[in-house]
Amino acid sequence: MTNRTLPRLLQAPAVVVLLIWMLVPLGMTLFFSFIRYVLNSLSRPEWTRPSIENWRGWGNYNFVLENKDFWFAVSNSVVIVGGIIVLTVILGLAIAILVNRTFPGRGIVRVFLISPFFVMPAVNAVLWINMILDPVLGLQGLAVNGLNEIVAGLRDFPILGAFFSLWPEIEPISFRATQTSALAVIIMVTWQWTPFAVLIFLTSLQSEDQQQKEAAVLDGASAWAMFINLTIPHLARPIAIVVMIQAIFHLSLYAEIEIVSRGNGNKNLPYLIGEFATNNIGAASATGIFAVILANIVAIFLLRMVGKSLMN
Amino acid sequence: MAVVAQSSTFSRIFWPTVAWLTAMIFFFPIFWMVFTSFKTDADAVKPEYLFFFTPTFENYLNMTENYDYWRFAINSVITSTFATAFALVVGVPCAYSMAFNPTPATKNILMWMLSTKMLPAAAVLYPMTFLTKNFLGIYDTHFLVIVVLMLINLPIVIWMLFTYFKEIPKEIIEAGKMDGVNTWGEIKDILIPLAWGGVASTALLCFIFCWNEAYWTVRLTTTEAATLSKLIEGNRAPEGLFFGRLSAVSTAAVGPIVVLGWFCQRQLVQGLTFGAVK
Repeated sequence: MTNRTLPRLLQAPAVVVLLIWMLVPLGMTLFFSFIRYVLNSLSRPEWTRPSIENWRGWGNYNFVLENKDFWFAVSNSVVIVGGIIVLTVILGLAIAILVNRTFPGRGIVRVFLISPFFVMPAVNAVLWINMILDPVLGLQGLAVNGLNEIVAGLRDFPILGAFFSLWPEIEPISFRATQTSALAVIIMVTWQWTPFAVLIFLTSLQSEDQQQKEAAVLDGASAWAMFINLTIPHLARPIAIVVMIQAIFHLSLYAEIEIVSRGNGNKNLPYLIGEFATNNIGAASATGIFAVILANIVAIFLLRMVGKSLMN
Repeated sequence: MAVVAQSSTFSRIFWPTVAWLTAMIFFFPIFWMVFTSFKTDADAVKPEYLFFFTPTFENYLNMTENYDYWRFAINSVITSTFATAFALVVGVPCAYSMAFNPTPATKNILMWMLSTKMLPAAAVLYPMTFLTKNFLGIYDTHFLVIVVLMLINLPIVIWMLFTYFKEIPKEIIEAGKMDGVNTWGEIKDILIPLAWGGVASTALLCFIFCWNEAYWTVRLTTTEAATLSKLIEGNRAPEGLFFGRLSAVSTAAVGPIVVLGWFCQRQLVQGLTFGAVK
């Protein structure tokens, strides 16, 4: 065998299976997005089968773009992804700096901090929405009740009572409603992904140039100035990577939405595709193509960054 | 080390305390799940038993009866193990040849592989259902779950292996060749001992990702090949009636993986950032 043949043979299986995996389903989605394809149609049985004769052109795309559910799902996806990213980056930075020092029990602290990341998404969602956030039986409900009882008890005191009688009774929040369930999803995914941000920032902080910092201290730089001028520039790249990897992962967030929001009207793009896919395959496919475009915009930036590091 | 020496007693006690508190807050939901799993369903929703109760193992003993836990757990073990094994069988030769015989195309192939990972799963949901149900007839089989889990993790596996293999100095292998070691000897005596650690941690991480996967395992299975993700997803709204037993089955589903995860923190950084953060 020549020098070129063996490497090609070794790489071929991986390349071929990934090529099939990428091209076949995506090609089908692209095709379905241009035809009328409805699973249940009594009046037009010919539409229940995928066929080139049911060509609809841009019809499905227009249908999706005029659908208010689509715009709601897009804006909701952006709100959820954006919320999670902002929270995880801020919390991740704070915690990474907090843990990046030697103190007793540092190993255990790290183990505690990383654990949420390995909890399966389905358990994460069921655990949070039922046992923690539930307005009656969850810890949130119990905490709010307890607080109200304490306030009620304090009202009987002579002088302080007048002050506490002004306090309103706090209502527990129901996180299963349409408006609040996006918040619940943001909370639970932030809990799960902050450890990821911490781990990456911590890895990066450990490679920070300590001599530079010492020189800055000798020059009389404040801790804040050092953070802004030395640490943040050093972390720019890890932050960008955390943002983009999370954007890609959370744009396809599914289990959490399914568990928290099934049937309450809250949805993101993958969930909307799932809803369309129970009947209107044309619309589901067009929505899918939009999701691909959205993910690609993010992915291009990420691939550029990773590509650069590959060259070094 | 001047920076450290200047820190005051206050900050030496205060910041570690804050770190400890933060860690405990983050760990609390997991602790609470394990804690609740030892309560009976009736006790779990009574505020008077919030912290003090008579612990019971009933929830764990009845997991099979309540949820058919082991059937789902065995499916998870089978699919994750085989998917990881196949990903390695396909990924190791590929990453090996990319790391040791790079061509001008190598970088592009790697980037393209990564880009397949960025395809949103939902976009191809219906084609996958259609193909596997109507065309191939493999819907809800272990085979299908194994293949899909392997495919979605293959890019990460190849990337991780590639970054590990790249670290192995080529001179060692060249020196082996000079000494007249044949290809098999090269693999057995030089490569495997050096690459073993990297392959093992890649496998561990791949297994964790397979185990936790919750899109395809939920959408492409009904009963036969349903994994633990599907089991938990099916009990999404117990309305407080079954907090005890639900906690037990959740603990059993995530426990082994969380413990495995503790051992591959560092690999996680490499695997999920594709070697871009070191």
